[in-house]
Amino acid sequence: MESLVYTALFAPLVGSLFAALFGMKPKSLWTGTVTSLLLFVSFVASVLLLQHVMEVGPVHVTLMDWIVAGDMRIPFGFNVDQVTAVMMAVVTLVSTVVHVYSNGYMEHDKGFNRFFSYLSAFVFSMLVLVMSDNFLGLFIGWEGVGVCSWLLIGFWYHKEDVTRDVNPSISPSWAANEAFIMNRIADLGMLVGIFLIYWNVGSLQYDEVFAAVPQMSHTLLVAIGIFLFIGAMGKSAQFPLHTWLADAMEGPTPVSALIHAATMVTAGVYLVIRAHPLYSSIPEVGYFIALLGTFVAIFAASMALVNRDLKRIIAYSTLSQLGYMFAAAGLGAYWVALFHLAAHAFFKALLFLGAGNVMHAMHDELDIFKMGGLKKVMRWTYIYMGVASLALCGIWPLAGFYSKDTILEVAFNEHTYGIWFVLWLTAGLTAFYSFRLVFLTFWSDERYKKYGFHPHEVQKYVLWAMAPLGILAVVFGWWKEEFMEFVTQLLPAYEVSEHTHHMVPILIVVTSAIAIGGIVVAYVLYHKRLRRNPKIEASLPYRVLSNQYYIPILYEKAISKPYAELADIAWKEIDMQVVDATVDGIAKLVEESGDETRKMQTGNLSDYLKWMAAGAIILAVLAIVAVVKS
Amino acid sequence: MENILSVLIFFPLIAALLGILVKKETIRVYGLTVAAIEFLLSLWLWFAFDPANSGFQFIEYVPLVSDFGINYYLGVDGISLFIVIMAALITLIGIISLGEVKDLKNMIISLLLLETAMVGVFVSLDAIVFYLFWEFSLVPMLYIIGYWGGEKRLYAAIKFFLYTFAGSLIMLVGMLYIAYVYQSVAGVWSFSLTDWYALVLPISVQKWLFWAFFLGFAIKVPMFPFHTWLPYAHGQAPTVGSVILAAVLLKMGTYGFVRFSLPLFPDAAVAYIVPVGVIALMMIIYTAMVAYAQKDMKQVIAYSSISHMGVIVLGTFAMNAVGITGSIFLMLSHGIVSGALFLLVGVIYDRRHTKLMSEFGGLASVMPRYAVVFGIMLMASVGLPLTIGFVGEYLSLAGFFRVAPVMTLVGGTSIILGAVYMLSLYKKTFFGPVTKEENKKLFDLNGRELTALIPLVAIVIWLGVYPKPVLVPIDNSVKALVSFMQEKAQTPEAKAIIHVSTSSKEAK
Repeated sequence: MESLVYTALFAPLVGSLFAALFGMKPKSLWTGTVTSLLLFVSFVASVLLLQHVMEVGPVHVTLMDWIVAGDMRIPFGFNVDQVTAVMMAVVTLVSTVVHVYSNGYMEHDKGFNRFFSYLSAFVFSMLVLVMSDNFLGLFIGWEGVGVCSWLLIGFWYHKEDVTRDVNPSISPSWAANEAFIMNRIADLGMLVGIFLIYWNVGSLQYDEVFAAVPQMSHTLLVAIGIFLFIGAMGKSAQFPLHTWLADAMEGPTPVSALIHAATMVTAGVYLVIRAHPLYSSIPEVGYFIALLGTFVAIFAASMALVNRDLKRIIAYSTLSQLGYMFAAAGLGAYWVALFHLAAHAFFKALLFLGAGNVMHAMHDELDIFKMGGLKKVMRWTYIYMGVASLALCGIWPLAGFYSKDTILEVAFNEHTYGIWFVLWLTAGLTAFYSFRLVFLTFWSDERYKKYGFHPHEVQKYVLWAMAPLGILAVVFGWWKEEFMEFVTQLLPAYEVSEHTHHMVPILIVVTSAIAIGGIVVAYVLYHKRLRRNPKIEASLPYRVLSNQYYIPILYEKAISKPYAELADIAWKEIDMQVVDATVDGIAKLVEESGDETRKMQTGNLSDYLKWMAAGAIILAVLAIVAVVKS
Repeated sequence: MENILSVLIFFPLIAALLGILVKKETIRVYGLTVAAIEFLLSLWLWFAFDPANSGFQFIEYVPLVSDFGINYYLGVDGISLFIVIMAALITLIGIISLGEVKDLKNMIISLLLLETAMVGVFVSLDAIVFYLFWEFSLVPMLYIIGYWGGEKRLYAAIKFFLYTFAGSLIMLVGMLYIAYVYQSVAGVWSFSLTDWYALVLPISVQKWLFWAFFLGFAIKVPMFPFHTWLPYAHGQAPTVGSVILAAVLLKMGTYGFVRFSLPLFPDAAVAYIVPVGVIALMMIIYTAMVAYAQKDMKQVIAYSSISHMGVIVLGTFAMNAVGITGSIFLMLSHGIVSGALFLLVGVIYDRRHTKLMSEFGGLASVMPRYAVVFGIMLMASVGLPLTIGFVGEYLSLAGFFRVAPVMTLVGGTSIILGAVYMLSLYKKTFFGPVTKEENKKLFDLNGRELTALIPLVAIVIWLGVYPKPVLVPIDNSVKALVSFMQEKAQTPEAKAIIHVSTSSKEAK
């Protein structure tokens, strides 16, 4: 089994290095093909491992020592248990699809080879993240995906910075830096959590740390739980570290599908699931996580309601769904969170890839107000995106129905009715904005003609490549029972109470009703034509939402600008005017006092005698004082 | 090779003197050969070094002034071994990187003399010999900055010289005082470090001696507020001067803390964790901000050096093996990475004769190889795991966390602020459209530059993925040092804070 673990892990790395060899050369079909094939190899190995874990049990391998200092011994160790096996299968499946898809999408891009090198490097990092058997190994992957995300968001680095009115993300390189720095803020929290674990447990291996949980004081556990969660907040873009995710849409669309929807952003959720023995013993922190997740769910959904940017709408929806996952994990239903994570990965990646097709057809136009009626020319893309949107809304019998409904059941079962209500409401908003997007893009009047676009469907093989995601977005939910049985071998089995059990049919009806309601509203408003109401668009709530609650501007005014100004003051006023001026002042003092005393050296013998006499007197006085004192 | 250390010290010196006779046309080859041989010798030192032995090895002992206990006393342990190798490597890389400079012959002779001084500092076990090499290192550097530097080179060179010289004079007074105390206790004079280690100094004496040494080391590191000579020195120094200054000379200060302050004054060191830690935090945060405000690329790297040295100081005062091993590893990694970054700035300066970031933009499309190497070094500088920068930074902070968690949290902002100034530098220089006409035709890294940079890239990745061969010898010597400090400490607080690893406890 060892070789399978290493095959799954290192195949993407090999692909990345191979593509990197051609990084500066013109496009070569090889890079795309080889990396895609190696990804497929990794996928097959992951599936075989999944099967092995199902039949036999977890696999644990240790490659070699990494950091050894003092009593700290950190190996490159990999552990494939139920959770990791699921994550690996999801990551490698979506990655393979995205790799194949990118062969078509990036066809005419100058950076074709470079793109595949980065993309495969990302998959490698993500696999390290989910496969490591200790917290520092996780941190390798954690930072690795951060760098790959930086490289890929800034992939079109040559674009110029523009103002926020023109492009809210300013430029790809700006968005890339923002994402990296935001994540770094969270990473500091994570590092502190790791330090706390190390000095209290003496190890960073998961099994040893989790075995020590019962012996740790409650305060300590809370501190560790909070610091690790701060790390999770960065990667999973939870409020207030959320602004980078929408700006990350500056990256090529396959990147958005893979990194900023299906995999990397779920790393925070993965961390909470992985550390479930810890979080189970601090339910108050879990409750806070659930509250924050719920808040983010509706907060992000509200911004998606008014946005016109195809990719940003989906990005906000990702943010919102991450909130759902945290709500489930925070309430202790770890397996439900993981289930929604996997289902979401499939339908959200599909949605993004569909968006990529639309962008391709529309020459990189993102404004859905300029689209409409595309279902005639892009039938398959329309079907894929329609299915993905239905799954996202939680319509029976698609994947999202099972996973999202279970989260709502959990919220109900925990008697956290506030959380339940907000998540329920968000389900309605989700349905509305998702189908606002679908209707404005594929139905309604063909507004694109006015702008001179000539949309066309993408290549056949690209459509075929999307098929696995399309199928899974439909059928994945049907395996809910099997999934639960499998992962609860490791995760705590979350059972709803008798009371909730009776309520389930009612809950399903209520939830489905609001989802369908949302779709119906979107249908009524937008299926024929784009309705715009200038009054509403000029109103304060609308402007607040379309400006993302003015949070990016607030960050700029309250953090970035003052920091830059303070830095300038530190340099020009303090470093130059105070610190360095003092040094030069002392030097000058020495020089000037030397210059003054030099005047004693007149060359005149009688002057010297006078000084000598003065000196002799001082010495004599000192001697007398000394004698008297003793 | 019993006297390998003497060979390592004097081979460059003799070669430098013979170099005066070498013809101008062949001096480059001559310099390269000498530096390469020296580097191979230093590798041989590593090969012959016994990693399981935590004490000093390859000891040489020749009495010089017996009446005053001054001896030619050399030795190397895990703490100094890799700094010596790095000094040899960086000198070699520096000579490789030399382009068309005026008076190449004198430059190479200066560099070889500097190498003698650097190796000498790190292998001396006699305080006077240490001090001689310490001061001697100023002379070639003074000459390199003052002769080959930029417009304000004389001001910068003199500032560098006088400032560091003033600090080390106070250190010398401290050294003389220790020898005097030794004489009054043992009856004979001695400047041998190992003799001094056995000396248990009263706490009050430790405290003022600590600050006397501190001043000498702090100016060298340089620690806030004694750092202002550094931006001038870097701003004016030629590329090779900056590379060696940042990579090796600054490490003399932090090495001094480990070699002198910790074992000689363990109680004082523990007592001053907070004030020293606060200064280190000032270095980390304040200079990171100043780095962000810079308009000149080289100044960003110069100030970032100070910021990173702050993390090294934190690790040194962690009083446990994790932190001290980390700080020594970080000295090495900072040497490699900042050396490489200064080389990279030199590359663009050679082409455009400016280092202002506003003059560039979009270089990634014009000079892709340059952008890749710069990007790797950037990531190492911000401490990305699997690059050399992470290991030392992580261990230093982890170690210091044990003595001061809140201060570590504050110091940890280094990973955020470091990313802020480095990424903003990278964006201004490499990203965006190519706006300046003169940048459109820039040629990418040439063979000479690649020869200098590729080994550094290889080390950055190798020691990031597999740091163990270097960590283990360091860690062995550090564990011994920590156990020694713990035994020697007098105050109960110091005994409690100095944390001996369980593995070294078991070894007893």
